[in-house]
Amino acid sequence: MPLQPDHILKYINNEADTKNKSELIELLRNTIDKLCFEDCQLDRIACTLQPKCSRRHLLKLRIKSRLSIEDLPKFCYSVHKGVVERYFRNKTVIYRPYDSFLYLIDFLDVFFHGDYRKLNKFISLNKWEDAFKIFDDRIHNRGEKFEYHKTDNYLLFKFDDHIHVVFMNEKYVLCNANRENIASLELLNGICNLYADIYFPEVKMKYVPSKHVEITLKVPYEVLTKVSNEPSDNNSKADQYFWNTFWEDLNALTQYCDQINLYEDKNQNLEIILYVSLLSNTYTEEGNKSALRFRDLRLIFNFITRIYTEYFIIWVE
Amino acid sequence: MNDTEKFEVEINQIKDFVNDGRFDDAVKIIALYIGDSTEDDYLDRLEEIIETLLTLHGGQTVLRFLIENLVIDIPSLLENLSKKDSVLRYTFLLLLRTICEKECELFLPYSENLVNSEDPNVREAALQLLIYMAGGDTIIEDESLIKAILIKLSDEKDFVVEKAIQTLKSIGEKAPKLMTRILTEYAKEISDIPDNEEIKNYIDQILKSIVSVDKIEEIVEEKKAQKELLKDEVEASESIVSKKKEDYLGKKESDILDKEFELKKKELEIKKKKLKLKEKERNIEEKVIQKKEEVLKLKEEILEKKSDLGESIEVKIPKKLKKKEEEIIDKEIQLKKKGLEIKKKKIELEEKEKELEEKEILEREKALKIKEKLLKRENELSQVELELKQKSIEQKEQKIQEEEMKRVEEELKKSLHKEEKTKED
Repeated sequence: MPLQPDHILKYINNEADTKNKSELIELLRNTIDKLCFEDCQLDRIACTLQPKCSRRHLLKLRIKSRLSIEDLPKFCYSVHKGVVERYFRNKTVIYRPYDSFLYLIDFLDVFFHGDYRKLNKFISLNKWEDAFKIFDDRIHNRGEKFEYHKTDNYLLFKFDDHIHVVFMNEKYVLCNANRENIASLELLNGICNLYADIYFPEVKMKYVPSKHVEITLKVPYEVLTKVSNEPSDNNSKADQYFWNTFWEDLNALTQYCDQINLYEDKNQNLEIILYVSLLSNTYTEEGNKSALRFRDLRLIFNFITRIYTEYFIIWVE
Repeated sequence: MNDTEKFEVEINQIKDFVNDGRFDDAVKIIALYIGDSTEDDYLDRLEEIIETLLTLHGGQTVLRFLIENLVIDIPSLLENLSKKDSVLRYTFLLLLRTICEKECELFLPYSENLVNSEDPNVREAALQLLIYMAGGDTIIEDESLIKAILIKLSDEKDFVVEKAIQTLKSIGEKAPKLMTRILTEYAKEISDIPDNEEIKNYIDQILKSIVSVDKIEEIVEEKKAQKELLKDEVEASESIVSKKKEDYLGKKESDILDKEFELKKKELEIKKKKLKLKEKERNIEEKVIQKKEEVLKLKEEILEKKSDLGESIEVKIPKKLKKKEEEIIDKEIQLKKKGLEIKKKKIELEEKEKELEEKEILEREKALKIKEKLLKRENELSQVELELKQKSIEQKEQKIQEEEMKRVEEELKKSLHKEEKTKED
């Protein structure tokens, strides 16, 4: 049997002699460097249309390792930035730049071209009021459509359905977050708040540091009374939902929430409490709980938005 | 309706036309749309059109029509694309791939100028288009274009050099003989320049990729076949010359023969010169041998005198000897120099000989062509003659028939007269 990737991983984990390990890792490093700086970039057309690493994930490796732009394959990075920009402007792209990492200055250049130098300065000097002024001016006076939310260490942006996370200490940005793991509870809480501000402002959110975020939503008694006691041919929307889809939704959410509790409060409203942490209830091949990803959160938010807009708010016609 | 709304309407119209297969209408609208642009928004409009075409099934056909009708001209398009981001530039190049492969005549005329463009992005794009063209059915055999690409091996931009290597490889795959010749000639040209090691390596790399063992055999066989063909042609032409020499083609053929004789004379002269040179060489060698013999004799004499006179003379003789030795060494050096000069001259003569041979071949080819033309004309003339003869024969036959008819009529008239007379009697 030829050498398998598993064998290498096990070897790195179990090998006692550190010299052997470092030799192997050095070999890997040299191979990556040669691939990035020589083989791939030499032919710029191939590098643009068919990069040698899928979706330029080796750039992510370098940026997340906090290497400077000098230590990046420059042409590859310029194409990567170009792809993010084209996707943002709804132009054709070779691949969708999900989970793409850019340096903060380049992110600002792409998404806030014209103000990026000022913004970079304000963010670097923590002059948040000045930075927010620019964002608000763009939203209210220049017709740009985006939302933002700031936490201690992160600045979150939502352009249409795309989430971009600025890691302020690291000075890099995760663009079009999708399959990337949510890095911290603070970030998780920030995203929940950002979505809550836009889609479900009256839903209760509670941040329990180092544990989870509690999201409490209500189905009012008036709505529940309209639902039949048994499944029936009554085709009311509430009947259809609560007898058919509601339980399926809850079942799906159990994969991504730590815990889901259902109560009846003193006013006989149904309270649904979702406990969301950094770990989901799905398992990796090694049997560990897998981390919660941005795309998993979207499912949770869709459920909350549905309950909130269809059964909680009273729409005045 | 503001500009963006107008634009959306026009783009949607283009999309509808392309989707309905109304390519001509789409081209007209695009032409108008691009024609309306100002200097400021020309690039944006062009990009929008390209963006739209990229996503449409049938977009390539429209693009081909646009290029054919010169709505989009390739040089200015590539220059404009150079100002845009690399993703758009290269995706658009990819869109041109099939057109390049199938209809390279749309692009080839611009290629050399674009390869020599000042903008490295344009140079790179032009080379990429050439790679696509070479990937199609046509064989690129334009020597000046290939040489222009060769020069790009020393381009200031690495990515242009890389593209040039790729281009030469892909052109060379289909024309290995031509490429091998041009590359080897170029390698010879730059062989004296010491800083060109890198370029030599590139050439080596290209040659390795295009010349496989099979192809070497092919090239050798082709050369052999060509030589045989040439021999056959020459023999055939000579036999034709001997047959037709006496005929009315004489003048032109005799001119050709004169040229052939001149060439042969030149050949003989070259051979004579060669022989003279060889004689000179021999003379020089003989002189060298004589001098060496003299030196040896002197050394022997000295040794003898040493033994006769003893140590007292030892001091004086070496000085004389040294002088003579030095003189001899100088002469030897001079002789070597002369030898080298002679070798150089030899090489030059050989080169001249080659040139003459090539010229001879060319002239023979020309002569053959002229002969062919003359033969054709001859055939035509003989055909015309035959036709004329046939016509004259036909005319004569007609005359004879007419005369016979007249004669028969007269005889009939006469016989009728006789019968009438007999009746009257």
